[in-house]
Amino acid sequence: MIDETDGLTEKTPAETGLTAEAPAETGLTAEVPAETGLTAEVPAETGLTAEAPIKKWSLKKQIVDHGMLLVLLLLCAAISALTVTDIHPEDPAAGRQLAKLALQEYGTQPNVLIVVRDTEADRAFAQAINDELIAGGGNVVGIASGTPRSAILQLTQTLAAGENVDVIATHHFASQWEVLSASRRAQVSDKPIKVISPPSYRWPSFLTKNNLLSILNQNAPIAIMAIGMTLVIITAGIDLSVGSLMALAAVVTAVSLRDYLGGVDANGGSVALAFGIGMLVCAVVGAVAGLLITVFKIPPFVATLGLMMVARGACYILAGGADAVKIDVPAISTLYDASVLGVSSQIILMVILFITAHVVMTHTPFGRYVYAVGGNVSAARLSGVPVMAVLITVYIVCGLCAGVAGVLDASHFLTGRPKAGEFYELQVIAAVVVGGTSLMGGEGKILGTLIGALILGVIQNGLNMAGVDSYRQMVIYGALILVAVVVDQLKKKVINPGVVSD
Amino acid sequence: MNKLIQSLLLLSVAYLFGCSTDKGTGEAITNKGKIGYSAMSLKNPFFVVISQSLTTAAQSEGYEVITMDADSDVKRQANQIENFISQGVAAIVLNPTDRLAIGPAIKQANEAGIPVFTCDLQCVADGIEIAGHIGTDNFQGGELAGQAMIETLGNEGGEILVLDFKQANSCVLRVQGFKQVIASHNEGREAGQITIVSEINGGGDESIGYRATVDSLQAHPNLRGIFAINDPSALGAWAATDEAQKAELIAIVGFDGALAGKQAIAQGKIYADPIQFPKKMGQVIMEKFVAFQAGEEYKQIELIPTSLYRQADAKSDPDLQLDQ
Repeated sequence: MIDETDGLTEKTPAETGLTAEAPAETGLTAEVPAETGLTAEVPAETGLTAEAPIKKWSLKKQIVDHGMLLVLLLLCAAISALTVTDIHPEDPAAGRQLAKLALQEYGTQPNVLIVVRDTEADRAFAQAINDELIAGGGNVVGIASGTPRSAILQLTQTLAAGENVDVIATHHFASQWEVLSASRRAQVSDKPIKVISPPSYRWPSFLTKNNLLSILNQNAPIAIMAIGMTLVIITAGIDLSVGSLMALAAVVTAVSLRDYLGGVDANGGSVALAFGIGMLVCAVVGAVAGLLITVFKIPPFVATLGLMMVARGACYILAGGADAVKIDVPAISTLYDASVLGVSSQIILMVILFITAHVVMTHTPFGRYVYAVGGNVSAARLSGVPVMAVLITVYIVCGLCAGVAGVLDASHFLTGRPKAGEFYELQVIAAVVVGGTSLMGGEGKILGTLIGALILGVIQNGLNMAGVDSYRQMVIYGALILVAVVVDQLKKKVINPGVVSD
Repeated sequence: MNKLIQSLLLLSVAYLFGCSTDKGTGEAITNKGKIGYSAMSLKNPFFVVISQSLTTAAQSEGYEVITMDADSDVKRQANQIENFISQGVAAIVLNPTDRLAIGPAIKQANEAGIPVFTCDLQCVADGIEIAGHIGTDNFQGGELAGQAMIETLGNEGGEILVLDFKQANSCVLRVQGFKQVIASHNEGREAGQITIVSEINGGGDESIGYRATVDSLQAHPNLRGIFAINDPSALGAWAATDEAQKAELIAIVGFDGALAGKQAIAQGKIYADPIQFPKKMGQVIMEKFVAFQAGEEYKQIELIPTSLYRQADAKSDPDLQLDQ
């Protein structure tokens, strides 16, 4: 299925010289070649299925087609290799293992004080140690859960009460506390007290479930915005307003909840309505962009640059300054906090939106229209594609995607931030381009964009994990974007020698 | 082609290795763990100084500091905090990029049981736990600025302009402190009153401060003094007075004591600055963290008072001597 769009786009440059360069020159539409261009284009709509079975499977083609996926996997492998470190387990299983260790090493009836922090995960860890110790005949003299201060207080109190403490069972984190150091232990007790924690193992800190999920979660807003941007860029346009629109959606959500939908007393329905209003405003701005571009023939760059500033200014005006607008409604966090099997709603939403967009772009007339408009606007118009409607729709979709990212942001930070999404337009465009969509239009894949967004996210996360400082990160990040695009160009050269020469 | 991808990747990997060996120098002594620091913006020297002093103080305690630039973006800072949690740092230090919106990220660190220390801005979100905060006493700094203004205008008093920056709470406090001192100076005084004729946005920025002052000089030709809430806007104000050939007549009081501000004080462009102590901030944060680890009691919120820095101080300032 992915190949189908390629079939279309590869044909466009091959038709005539005018298709590649002259989407804006309407004079060409009158010419005869455009007519032939039209005939070449139309079969693409119907001929999609006819062409697919002819293609042979070849390794070269696979590598070329899924080059970016390969890059992503190689990046993950490289970063994994770089982030191998000591992992200190803190889960209940590690707790049970630790308890067994204590029973083995310190006789059958060791007096154990369990020291953990006051968190949910830590309490589960402590409980596991406690249960396992008691089952094995050990004696738990207490569970200190809190800060280093509460740990040392409990230890001294326990000792003062005349109880013996042979072993302190804890995790690696707390074993590093100064209060549990050898010298401090010697101060509070004449008898030696051992501190034990579950054994650590070597594993890439990049390649943990939490970290991988957090990469997806952190990059979901950018990826969602990149869906709309992909459509816009396929039509040979650009939308610089997405970052501002994201902030606008968040601020509008916050302000409408505060001023019109009941403030503190607002219920879940009002919150949903506020989200809807926030996204609607973005869709309207997207429609305005589409009208400016189609009716007034303003270049997309300029039209959306203007709207970017208008929207950002509106954010500051609505928020009454640069400070975030507080949302006092408890229901606001429901959207962001919801999760299924540990996967956050943001990730699920991202996946659903990508699948929908992929299906729309590969299986519906609208999808083919978008490619047709980007490939050759004149030919598209002559073959009956409603160019104006397609362009306006594409900018509305782009605005809506920014709106989705904006309400997610409001739900995450419990505020409407007028400064949200600054410079996001550049990250979003980078994700689309790295994903293999051509800025010239007519070419690109939705799933490529997802991979593009993930490549950028993985690079950023990997650089953080490897402890690379911010200044160097900027250089590497920029350079890797260039590498990705160069690789993409080379890939085209391999599959289509001679075409890229222009 | 495949080879090309590989070699490019290898190249980037080699570069990554290059970076990680760089920080190896500190690792010889450090093994107690890492501290994550998310700075407001590393483009501002103020936070670079905090980062450096924190790193030095942490190193002597056996900790390594990972400094990240939040670039004034809450989302980016929240991501950095999340990454610090994944990396299992011993503590997180941050300059909140927003007093409210950073709340959920701090909560996440709380839930992971990692102590959070804030520095500069204080987070005001509900339901979060801060292990320690260190900031500047901005109200007291504003009072000092007011005293400096009274000192330079003498008994004659006159019209003054305030260049504020309402978006930042710290700057609002500075203006409040300033006004309080001016008000008590004016109390019961017939002649020589100091009148704030205008209070406008200086943007905390040189060019906005410049434009605001140019306009104010048109509206109030008799201005005798300007209080700007930070050094960049004070320098912008000076540029405007200089252009209007009134630099000799109008005294400027700034705030911060960044290098550029101190230099301007040495040259007589700015009369005086209440100065902040970013170097001390990094050290005090580390002291608090050590006290936390040792289970000792410590002052959880500490505001460092500013001190007034005049031309005489600039003359004997070793930081400025090195530059010349």
